[in-house]
Amino acid sequence: MLPVKETNHPEINIEKDPFSVRFKKGLKQWREVFPFLFLGLLGAGVFVIFPLIKGVIMSFQDYNIMPGAESPFVGLENYMRAFEDENFKYAVRNTILNTLVTVPVNWFFGLFFAVLINLHFVKYKITFRTLYYLPIITSWIVVAFLFRYLFADGDSGLINFMLLKAGLVNEPISWLQNQWTAMVVIWLFHIWKTVGWTVVIYLAALQGISKDIYEAAAIDGSDGFKTFRYITIPQLRPITAFVLINLVMGAFNIFPQVYFITNGGPMGQTEVLQSMIYKEAFNNFNFGYSSALSVMMGLTIFLITLAQQKKLGKNTDE
Amino acid sequence: MKWFKSLMAGVSISTLLLATACSGGGGEKADGDNKGSKDKVTIEYWHTYGDQEEKVLVDKIKPLFEKEHPEIELKLTRMPYEGLKQQVIAGVSGDAAPDLMRMDIIWVPEFAEMGALKEVSSMDGFDAVKESVFEGPMATNVFEGKYYGVPVNTNTKVAIYNKAIMDKAGITEAPKTMDEFVAASQKAKDAGAKGAIGIGGSFSWGFLPYFWSLGGELTNEDYTKFDGYLNSPESIKAVEEIAKWQKDKLAAPTLLGGEPGTWDGMKKNEYFMIDDGPWFYSILMNEEGSKFKPLEDTVRGLMPEGKGGSRSVIGGEDLVIFANSKHPEEAWTFAKWMMTTEPQKIMSETGLIPSNKEAANDPEFLKVPFAKEYVEQLKTAMPRTPIPQWSEIEAIINQNFEKVVRGKMSAEDAMNDAAKKADSLLK
Repeated sequence: MLPVKETNHPEINIEKDPFSVRFKKGLKQWREVFPFLFLGLLGAGVFVIFPLIKGVIMSFQDYNIMPGAESPFVGLENYMRAFEDENFKYAVRNTILNTLVTVPVNWFFGLFFAVLINLHFVKYKITFRTLYYLPIITSWIVVAFLFRYLFADGDSGLINFMLLKAGLVNEPISWLQNQWTAMVVIWLFHIWKTVGWTVVIYLAALQGISKDIYEAAAIDGSDGFKTFRYITIPQLRPITAFVLINLVMGAFNIFPQVYFITNGGPMGQTEVLQSMIYKEAFNNFNFGYSSALSVMMGLTIFLITLAQQKKLGKNTDE
Repeated sequence: MKWFKSLMAGVSISTLLLATACSGGGGEKADGDNKGSKDKVTIEYWHTYGDQEEKVLVDKIKPLFEKEHPEIELKLTRMPYEGLKQQVIAGVSGDAAPDLMRMDIIWVPEFAEMGALKEVSSMDGFDAVKESVFEGPMATNVFEGKYYGVPVNTNTKVAIYNKAIMDKAGITEAPKTMDEFVAASQKAKDAGAKGAIGIGGSFSWGFLPYFWSLGGELTNEDYTKFDGYLNSPESIKAVEEIAKWQKDKLAAPTLLGGEPGTWDGMKKNEYFMIDDGPWFYSILMNEEGSKFKPLEDTVRGLMPEGKGGSRSVIGGEDLVIFANSKHPEEAWTFAKWMMTTEPQKIMSETGLIPSNKEAANDPEFLKVPFAKEYVEQLKTAMPRTPIPQWSEIEAIINQNFEKVVRGKMSAEDAMNDAAKKADSLLK
């Protein structure tokens, strides 16, 4: 039986076709699109898939970067090493702490400011949106140095100067020279730099909620709070899932915040995974160990994202 | 044949996109390389000279070398110090490293172990070069008994005292012994100095001069063992003494990374003493519009002499040739030439201390107003452990040292732990 041509529903046709015909047709379609996919596939292969596989292989090697040099396989040695490393403990702790602290704060402020800007009587919406987005397009290094100067030790740092003048503290705080104060600076920097993204995403989502729903609620006598609780929040649910996943990944990938502000100091207590991975590879030449750390971190992010997606995704279906 | 046409169309569009994206870089190079004179060899030289030094390099060294060796062209690239090691690694692994580089002495064993550097001890005329330079700086090029570079310039740090604070505290000359030094620091502190002993930070380059002068030691003589040296009773005592300076508030905030920095503290007459290299003078003397006159406002002295003598730390740069250099012979010709008296003298105009003995003892160089103390200090200065694992071991020592200074760990535990970890890395 040859395929019937007069129908406009190819999917019905395919079911009727014998395998060889369908195969030929599929092949033809592939031939037509493949050249256009080629570049993208090539790029992904060279810049994403190859490094990914190479990184996993390197994590089992005592890797030497010289071209042609030998890199013997050492089994799980690189992985075992991490669990004896004091710096690794700090790095894991700080990365998790950073996620636990900054994600809720970021999410709350992002939603708060988005709702605020979206209120119907607020003018210059675009100006506000731009202002909140500005930190994101500024250079990491420039702002990191700015934060370092703001929180400089002694009375020459602006924050210390203001605190002293206001009489809130008696002597200057050594912000970056102590573990927890340094962490606070890093968190603040992270939140300042990324909250604008959350605002912009939520703002777009808020503007996408149909006005009809709000009107219906108003007619039914719903007040502002109830409207927010029972209409805005549920309507934003899919966006919230997306925002949270991205915030968690962003918080896990914290690097310039630490590397340029404290460089892991004092005594490695503010080290995070990314800065440790970077330093092990490029300062200590331990590429194998560094890859092992990266693989573990990658797997963790993957699992967290998967769990989040499953949980949040399910709820939206209901 | 229709599918073939569409395939070709797609591929050509893809390649077109790729080609336009890449053409920016590729096009220019082709012209330049082909048309240059045929026999002339270009060697690429990465350096990290400062502003003043680069001027001399470009205006004097390059023309002189190219006049004497017309067959070689020297291509100079000034590299930023920030992130340099990472750039060198990328260059080496991607076969894009230059022919020559002037690199920090402490990197040489590390890159040599990696196989990135060319061994120069077997090159023609090496022995003559070795004869002509100071032993200490030359030793920083050794890896497994062979040499992988030549010391292009050397330096060390001396004690620099603030004149205004000395006057205020009634101190007339730079303290000579450790006891005098601590007593003078106490006086300066009492006279209102914000910090008396300006150790640059809790990293080896900062604290080693004090640690060594106080009698501490890092390893045995052939750099194969930390245990028994880094944690010897003398070493532990030395660390305890520095921690005591911190407790007594003699140490400036810089020891734990605080502000103002050593230079600012000196310029603002807040710190009694700091230690630094000749660049403190060569840079600040050339600072326009500054009220601070480094030569008049400071007094130089050797590091105060303690149980370990008057010890400072050797710094400086070595000239190395990369293993995948395309013109190793020409690169060596330049390295060899750079070590001769004439170019060494020219570079010393900027205050860089020549490693060539003749140039360093040249009366002309000693006329540089601050040179004398540095050359004197070099006689007893010591190198940081020249082993490939140093940067990793250093991080461990630094961290444990900081823990002691902060009172989080006893000096004994800290040094025992560091020695154990360091030795395990040596294996």
